[in-house]
Amino acid sequence: MNKRKKILRIAAIVVVAGLLIGAGIAYYMYNLPHRDVQSTPTDYKLTVSELVSEYITDMETANKKYLAEDGNSKILEVTGVVLRSRTNMNNQRVIVLQNNEDPAGVNATLTQLASEQTPELQAGQQITVKGVIRSGVYYDENLGMFINANIDNAAIIQ
Amino acid sequence: MKIRTLKQTILTFSIFLLSLNLFAQQRITTTDTHIRFFSSTPAEDIESNNFASTGTLNPQTGEVAFSVPMQSFEFEKSLMQRHFNQRRFLHTSEHPIAQLVGKVENFDNVDLSKNGLYDVTVIGEMTIKGETNSFKEPGTIKVENGKITANTKFFITLADYGITFSRGKPSSNIADKVEVTVLAEFAK
Repeated sequence: MNKRKKILRIAAIVVVAGLLIGAGIAYYMYNLPHRDVQSTPTDYKLTVSELVSEYITDMETANKKYLAEDGNSKILEVTGVVLRSRTNMNNQRVIVLQNNEDPAGVNATLTQLASEQTPELQAGQQITVKGVIRSGVYYDENLGMFINANIDNAAIIQ
Repeated sequence: MKIRTLKQTILTFSIFLLSLNLFAQQRITTTDTHIRFFSSTPAEDIESNNFASTGTLNPQTGEVAFSVPMQSFEFEKSLMQRHFNQRRFLHTSEHPIAQLVGKVENFDNVDLSKNGLYDVTVIGEMTIKGETNSFKEPGTIKVENGKITANTKFFITLADYGITFSRGKPSSNIADKVEVTVLAEFAK
């Protein structure tokens, strides 16, 4: 009788502990923070022109190289010339980098922090931006224009 | 001397006309866009925002087109964002761009040169995850001091785009129909 009680008690403790651990993991996963792009090591360093030409040459290969299935795609440091900068509907600064000879460039959406901290940029200025790639360059038949690559969670590092 | 001046005038004038004509046919482009997904179930509300889409409007014909980078959709919870991108949901690494191509049906009623708010109907096609479906939805066009704001809100059925979940948590937490809001500001 006593032995049976003991076994039951141990079983109850194991079940409760299991439930607590399970709930803890679920809670942790649910609240898992976003990847901090700026403190994650860079995957590729390249110029804006190189990225544009990689995409125009072979979009499929470029997508395979840069885009991750879980959305945590490659982190790039791209160097290029500022074409213009603007503020998007989310109050973030977007820097458009494009070389004069290229048909398209890169839209780099800065983090909220970088949006506030980055001074005014001059067109023609050369800068390096670190961020995560979201989409590449391609010619869109429906819009009748080249679409720029998109990089976000970005900051100017040089 | 006189003939030469006349020739020059004609030449200048025709170049002027030609450039006007070219300008008239040009589409207006914008990257001032906000596309939002909203799903509501008793279990939870899920919202996602995208500020990186590019859109065009043809001011003569009322044709509109949008290119939407799918990985630019941001969620409050990173786990949801991960799910959204995965193979069984939107498979964004394989289909990184969604497209909306349409035409404002009653565009003749819209006067882009004058301030006003117009109710319109947009008909067209949407391609998400490689699947194309047609749509016909109401929207508005607001003209204010040369700024054109297009706005539409409608529901899409996820199953139409090959997004189905028969089991597991997502099926109870994500609605079968998701509300989509498209907002775009065009500067003339």
